[in-house]
Amino acid sequence: MENAINKSTLRNLSALVDFGNLINSSLDTKFILNNLLLTCFGKFHTTKGLFATCYNNKLQFSISKGLGGNYKEEFPETEIDDYLNSTNLKEYLIKNKLVHSQEVYSANKLIGVLFLGERLSGDKYFDEDIKFLQTFLNITATALENSISITQLKEVNRNLDNKVHQLSSLFDLSKEFGGILEIPLVSKLLGFSIIGQLLVTKYAIIIFRDNKHEIIESRFDIEVLEQIITLLKAEDITKPVICNSKLNASQHLLFSMGIELIVPMQIKQKTKGLILLGRRNTGESFTKSDIEFVSSVGGLAIISIENSILFKETLEKQKLEKDLEIAKKIQRNLLPNKLPKMNNFEIAAFNNAAKQVGGDYYDAIKLADGRILIAIADVSGKGVQAALLMANLQAFLQAISKQNKELIEASNLLNDLVSENTSDGRFITFFWGILNDENLQFESVNMGHNPPLIIRNGEIIKLRIGGMLMGVMPTITPYKKETTQLVKNDLLILFTDGITEAMDEKQNEFSDEKLEELSLKLKSNSAENSLNKILNEVNKHTKGTEQSDDITCIVIKVK
Amino acid sequence: MADFNVSSRIDGDVNLIDVKGYLDAHTAPDLENEFNKLIERKRFKVVVNFSELNYISSAGLGVFMAYVETMREQSGDIKFSNLKDDVYSIFDLLGFPVLYEFYKEEKEAIQKFR
Repeated sequence: MENAINKSTLRNLSALVDFGNLINSSLDTKFILNNLLLTCFGKFHTTKGLFATCYNNKLQFSISKGLGGNYKEEFPETEIDDYLNSTNLKEYLIKNKLVHSQEVYSANKLIGVLFLGERLSGDKYFDEDIKFLQTFLNITATALENSISITQLKEVNRNLDNKVHQLSSLFDLSKEFGGILEIPLVSKLLGFSIIGQLLVTKYAIIIFRDNKHEIIESRFDIEVLEQIITLLKAEDITKPVICNSKLNASQHLLFSMGIELIVPMQIKQKTKGLILLGRRNTGESFTKSDIEFVSSVGGLAIISIENSILFKETLEKQKLEKDLEIAKKIQRNLLPNKLPKMNNFEIAAFNNAAKQVGGDYYDAIKLADGRILIAIADVSGKGVQAALLMANLQAFLQAISKQNKELIEASNLLNDLVSENTSDGRFITFFWGILNDENLQFESVNMGHNPPLIIRNGEIIKLRIGGMLMGVMPTITPYKKETTQLVKNDLLILFTDGITEAMDEKQNEFSDEKLEELSLKLKSNSAENSLNKILNEVNKHTKGTEQSDDITCIVIKVK
Repeated sequence: MADFNVSSRIDGDVNLIDVKGYLDAHTAPDLENEFNKLIERKRFKVVVNFSELNYISSAGLGVFMAYVETMREQSGDIKFSNLKDDVYSIFDLLGFPVLYEFYKEEKEAIQKFR
């Protein structure tokens, strides 16, 4: 009997020594725990075992043998201090038929708990079994603690390496995004960086602009994605969202589409875009660090995208302004660059558009018979649209002036041509006349233009005769003309409403009265001086305000 | 700016892509072009030889993720060979060995396609 006990003790001892040697030679936790369980299985004839390790004050599943079902996922993480009272853990142990538990200490610190199943013999775990197990676990403890430390250190190292790589990738991207890039290239690099770092293959990048969304990259079904974005009120997402089946309906829908993570791209806390990611091909879930990475690269990308949009807009604006500058030059060339010289008349003229291009027009053309055609016009509206119609009018007028037509006939024709080429109720106020250098006669037609003034001996004569505004409808009633016999020292002033309606700071117009009053004072001035005086007065009036309308003025003096 | 170079060779039905230097956000589009060319020519069996690659960033890794499914759907694959240790450790760190096959020598990778 004694012999038998000795034999059993000896067997126990040699098992302990063997085990001790084996596990102390390893720093691999799995290997140690695996051997621990196997040795226990052999010693106590049980087929179920589980080892849970203490990590961050929590009991976590480490390794098990002989358990069925979702034994790993179902293991309830419990606080170490309270694990004995945890109902979840108790239920788990009962379900998995783990009847015995024993704690493992190293230097008075709990490092784990071993759970063992029923013994095949049906025996319970006797005191001597527990004693043996305790000795056994004491030997294991140091090796286990070392290996756990190493494992944790390895994990910390790995996380650190991962962070370093994330940072260098961020740095890499920020360098690249620093230059001005096209949006497709930004979104491509953003996509590559994320899928390369997180190992996903399905993703989408959406940006918001002018209250609309724009899918700039998608590896999901675009139509479904569109529906979902509308449903989701994507602009309202201000924090990363991890989608799973447990969340609300719309997130559940996203999850069912294969979208697992949504990260907003923000500028100054405003969501300007979204990054949608599918499942990771490795099957792992997204960690906090992963989400931080996506947020960071997303932040870089959206700034680059925003810059690219602004840059494009600025370029377009610059191009437009350049175009307008060119248009301005072209329009200037449509006005006479030199006024004709005459024996009995001095002519001076001025034109300035409120914007780069304008709708005012004047001309002075020497006709084949030596007489001079004088014209002034104001196209309704301002800017490019007015300038186009002005150019049109100039072309017609230049052509007609070569045809030796009588003034009334020419007026009827000009109105017909312009009417055919205008729409949307546009019109032109137009006045023209022909100066005869020999007999000083001036025949004129006024088509709705501010009546030109003739100043003679302190009196004002207004040239009103003509007809309807130009361009409203084809000529039905022919225009009328008037012929004025000019005399020495007469001053003829033609102008557009840019002069009389020039506003001061208080929105007061320069007014017809003021122009007439001023005109009466010009008397002995030359045409050039008279023009300058008028312009000076207008400038004085409008000081401190922006020119609101195109200004044109022609002054003709009879020598 | 660090240099990067990508070139292609052919061994039967297998395409070898040699990558050299630094594969980062700046150079990733070059590699992408190479893959696009292969897909245009309907060549889906690819071995990437990394023997002269010194660095790879996430953007570079992303190119492989972007094309691997297309290649596999067409009964091809992207396999990797001749990685330097520090380059391999980046792949390893991010979990690529679960999804891709790595070989010491390009010959072994080619053989796997046969």
